[in-house]
Amino acid sequence: METGIRVLLLTVAFLSLQGCAVRNWIQQRNEARAERDAAKEEAANANANQQQDDLEAPPPRVVEPDVERRKITVPKIRSSNVEIGLDYGALSVEDFGTNPVYGVTAAYHITEDFFFQGEYGRSTAGRTSFETLGGNIQLLTNDERRFTYYNLSLGYNFLPGEAFLGRGIAMPSAFYWLGGIGTTKFAGDDRFTVNFGAGYRVLPSDWIAVHITVQDRVFKSDLFGVSKLTNNIEARIGTTIFF
Amino acid sequence: MCLLIALLVAPAMGVAREYLQVFVTEPYLELRTGPGRGYPVFTVVARDESVDILFRRTDWFKVRTERGVEGWASQQDMQKVVLANGALFTFPLGDRAGYNSHRWEMGMFAGDYGGATLISGYSSFYLNSQLAAELSLGQFLGKYSNGTTGDLGLAHIIAPEWRLTPFLMIGTGFVHITPKATLVQPAERTEQTAYVGGGVRYYLTRRFFLRAEYKAHEVFTKRNANEQVDEWKLGFAFFF
Repeated sequence: METGIRVLLLTVAFLSLQGCAVRNWIQQRNEARAERDAAKEEAANANANQQQDDLEAPPPRVVEPDVERRKITVPKIRSSNVEIGLDYGALSVEDFGTNPVYGVTAAYHITEDFFFQGEYGRSTAGRTSFETLGGNIQLLTNDERRFTYYNLSLGYNFLPGEAFLGRGIAMPSAFYWLGGIGTTKFAGDDRFTVNFGAGYRVLPSDWIAVHITVQDRVFKSDLFGVSKLTNNIEARIGTTIFF
Repeated sequence: MCLLIALLVAPAMGVAREYLQVFVTEPYLELRTGPGRGYPVFTVVARDESVDILFRRTDWFKVRTERGVEGWASQQDMQKVVLANGALFTFPLGDRAGYNSHRWEMGMFAGDYGGATLISGYSSFYLNSQLAAELSLGQFLGKYSNGTTGDLGLAHIIAPEWRLTPFLMIGTGFVHITPKATLVQPAERTEQTAYVGGGVRYYLTRRFFLRAEYKAHEVFTKRNANEQVDEWKLGFAFFF
């Protein structure tokens, strides 16, 4: 009931404000139209005066100046702030051993310091030591062993610099911090996941970057009866392309 | 003088240029080795000489001089260069003026969706400085059920020129609910929703702002009574 009243009030407020915006828009449009009409009228008057002047004006010049007015068309400047790439590495799933992980990352560079990054990765968890020692015991099915995550993170470039290769090559590079939130699907359940980590990025050219990243993905798990925070540390190397 | 000569000669040198050519009006234009304030200045372009703008990355422009040297020029310096016709080179700066009026914005949130933890992202397209079409997608993780939700609607920014400004939202969407495994396993379901809501946004710096919002969802179920779900979330966003 309370929600109903809130919904009603918010709807009324929203609609009334839209009404104001539309009214302003109509008023602005009318003003613009009036201005346009006035300009047209002025142009017509000027034209009439011009014709009058033309009749009284001296005869046209024999040589017409052959100068073309220079017109500049401003081409759109390409923005290159988006970075998309693939990566591969090792993921240590707490209690389930270390296994290969592969994934996709996409980043948007907002300023020279900050970027916004999305990550998606897949791995398959191994066997716990209990399973290995216990013989035929299976805690999870093969499907449940699949470890899939996605994350939205904010990154901060904290040590920008240059990396040198011999005498002739200098490549821009940076260390960065990452932190964000996301979801991990593991053992048949989706879990809210917080991630934090750091990475190093070097750009051999303006379009290609090579990354090395270490991230900890932390989520709550009650797989073994007690609810506990699990740390799943991941190290990856990847290549991205700037668009 | 050089500028004048360049102006006279330029039309003869091929009309269609691939890149925009701009001319330096300050005593010199500094070029750095990388797109950041800490990279060293390795060359300068003298007054009245030109550079071609190759592309832009965040607040830096990659340019090429007449001699073919490539380097990075800062946004502040590029505000002082002119086009071949003498007009100032203008471009979106990504500052407070951009916050007041922009085309696109994107952001991420963490919050609460009917008692479940919510993670969501959104994108807005501004029809004018006050009215935006918004798309948001989220995933919620609860004790008894998980699910995804998506909304499409309109947002009205009440006073875009204020640093802290309220806004209102209205729209429609869906919710897909996956109950967690129990003895009696109820089926997954997808329902249509409608929402109204409000919130505030606060300009931080550069292209960033904070955004907090509340949405009251009406979930149209196939049962006799509809459900109401409250959504609260806080996040940060940027515009471009």
